[in-house]
Formats: sequence, C-alpha cells, structure tokens
Amino acid sequence: MTLPLEETDVLSSVGEGAGWETVVWNDPVNLMSYVVHVFREYFGYSPARAEELMLAVHHRGHAIVAEGAREQMELHVQAMHDYGLWATVRRTRS
Amino acid sequence: MTGQTVILEMARREAAHLADLVEQFAALLDSDSVDGDPAIARLSPDAYPEDSAAADEFRRLTRSDLLERRRADSAVVLASLAEDGAVPRIADVDDDVAMDSRVLTLDPAESAAWLRTLAALRLVLASRLGVTAEDAHDDDDPRFGVYEWLGYRLEGLLQALNE
Repeated sequence: MTLPLEETDVLSSVGEGAGWETVVWNDPVNLMSYVVHVFREYFGYSPARAEELMLAVHHRGHAIVAEGAREQMELHVQAMHDYGLWATVRRTRS
Repeated sequence: MTGQTVILEMARREAAHLADLVEQFAALLDSDSVDGDPAIARLSPDAYPEDSAAADEFRRLTRSDLLERRRADSAVVLASLAEDGAVPRIADVDDDVAMDSRVLTLDPAESAAWLRTLAALRLVLASRLGVTAEDAHDDDDPRFGVYEWLGYRLEGLLQALNE
C-alpha cells in the first residue's frame, strides 16, 4: 500500500528531534520590554537570550522560541496567548 | 525579576479610569458577541495558521479556559485597585482629591495579572483603533491617549519588577 504523504512526513520527522516549534510573530502593539519579560519569565531565558529573541521577532518578523514535542509546543502557545503574544505551532522546517 | 512585592502609586482619577477599562474588558469577555469580536480573536489567535482543522480544534479545546484566565486576571486587578476602599466611578471622583495618590502593593501573582491585563487592554484598544504600526497616533481620538497611558503604566510596572 502507499502511505499518505502526511504519514510519511510524520515518520521522517522522528529521530530529528521532536519535530515541532513554537513561533512568536511581530505585532505593533506589544512593548519590546514586555516581550523580553515574557521570554524571561515563562521560558526562563537569560536576559541576553530573551533580548536576542525579542529583536529577532521585531526585525525579522518572527522567531522560533522553542522546539520539541507537539503537545509541549501547544502548551507554550497557550501560555504565549495568555500573555497576549501572537504565537503559533508548526513543524520544524530545517 | 520576580518574587518581590511592587509598590505602585496611582492618582485616584487614574485608578477610577483603569477600573472602568478593566470592567469594560470583563464585560466584553462575558458578552454574547465574544466569538465574533476581532479584539477577542486577537487574544486567541490561530495556533495553526496553515492548518484550519488543527486551528479549530486547538481553539475548541483551549479558548474557554483562556477567556476564563482573562476573567480571573481582571478580577485580581479590580481587587487590588479596591484594596483600600472601593474605587469610585470616574464621574464621582471628587476633583479635590482626584490627583491624590493611592498606593497599591502588588505581590508577584498580582503583578503578573496586572501585566497580562494591561497588555490585553492595549491589544483590545489597538484592535478598535485599527493600529497597524508602532507609531500609530491620532490627536483627535482620545482613545489613543488611553492606549499610550496603558503603555506607560505597563512599562512602569516592568521597570519596577526589574529593580
């Protein structure tokens, strides 16, 4: 039988990490200092790492803030939404 | 940056305005039109922009809890504003004492609720105002003044937490 494409995709992602990522997108409303605070507070990132991720969101339009299992990424996205950040889940693209 | 108590000073008139905004927000969360409201949509954006079935499923499973946490945060903010006496309606604030400061003491959980609520109020206002750029402003629309004041308060609270 032929496997549907989606299933092939799932299989190919096994072994190269958990295959999902949490992406935070730029918006014109949230303050830069607030975004840094959220990254430090929620993910426990260092001030330098949090600042770096915030700047990536700001200048490149988005940043991958976490990678791992899908369920874990969904929890992160829920938390980001609680803070008012615009976050999404997707398969890792590398 | 966390774990400490924060002292916040706020004029009585300001506290009355903030309480009014938070009450409006809480009413929006409880309104029948919550599902079609673009501001609420911004507070619970698509988790899977490229997969509408997964996005719908995520929203179905998480949205009511998210709105419930928003309600809880709002209640915390209103409670801390009323810590040393009920906050009067804006129109009932006596001009003689309007600029007198109220001193609010926020524990870490309260600060967190304040941050999330101030950020949410800005998102709701930005949605109503059609803000699409960071420097959006219109001198003729007083809501921009409110929007910027919320940003000033949010920034101040973040600074206090970092001290």
